[in-house]
Amino acid sequence: MNEIIEQVNEVLVDEFEVEAETITPEANLRETLDLDSLDYVDLVVAIESISGVKLGEEDFKSIESFKDFYGVLESKIQEK
Amino acid sequence: MALKYALITGGSRGIGRAVCEVLAENTDYGIIINYSSNKEAALETKKLVEAHGNQAEIMAFDVADKKAVDDSLNAWQERNPDAWIEVLVNNAGITKDGLFMWMKEEDWSSVVNTSLNGFYNLSQFVIQKMLRKRYGRIVNMVSVSGVKGTAGQVNYSAAKGAVVAATKALGQEVAKRNITVNAVAPGFIKTDMTEEINEKEMAKLVPANRFGEAREVADLVAFLTSKKASYITGEVININGGIYS
Repeated sequence: MNEIIEQVNEVLVDEFEVEAETITPEANLRETLDLDSLDYVDLVVAIESISGVKLGEEDFKSIESFKDFYGVLESKIQEK
Repeated sequence: MALKYALITGGSRGIGRAVCEVLAENTDYGIIINYSSNKEAALETKKLVEAHGNQAEIMAFDVADKKAVDDSLNAWQERNPDAWIEVLVNNAGITKDGLFMWMKEEDWSSVVNTSLNGFYNLSQFVIQKMLRKRYGRIVNMVSVSGVKGTAGQVNYSAAKGAVVAATKALGQEVAKRNITVNAVAPGFIKTDMTEEINEKEMAKLVPANRFGEAREVADLVAFLTSKKASYITGEVININGGIYS
């Protein structure tokens, strides 16, 4: 799982052009990545390409921080 | 192999065929010609497109059938993993005219399903890639009936009017990603759909005193799908010889 988180972070840095240091477990996902509503499509595709998991609108409702995000991702991967 | 494609629903005949031809004439897009039942006509359109040196393929599905749409387009994407649909022309439509007081539920729902659900089924599929690519063009074929309302066509007017509203809403939603969504509203155009109308009589009602040619509508669609129309979105453009504005 840690490996996937690392991969995800790498892609996020790349895709959303943010500094790696800004991605911390407590940081707010949406604010850190400066996501507008349409940007979620990029995020979903990026996550899918790494983990094979497709996140939906429902999944993001419970996500505030990166920690939440990793949690959702982890449970989705286990469900697979 | 073309990488960028234009998909025209109901592309085998009439305005749809003209759109396929004009796009082939003016662009390098690979052209996907969707048809529902008339394979022969679709193959004829394919020939017309290929004559311009563009790649063309025919694709059979009913736009109202979400599963059929998804299956066909997913299979296409698997065959062409690097290709994407940059232009979508939602042109497929049917009419089941009659007075509303006698209208059967089936005539209501089939017309609405083809125009409105067709819009959803196709646009929802292609928009994902357009959003990723940060570019796209969607043109919806509506009708003067959808803007003005036409007696005897309550179902068709409702379906097309709904697509007009959807055009405006979606246009706003995706404008930021250089995706434009527009609608074209033709009046009387010489096609199979207007075959049964007495052209000589009806032309008198049109200020231009004639029916339009499919080609004239196709030229407008081609403009809206071009880069030149980048700042036009959520718009409905009438093309009707002055019958309604």
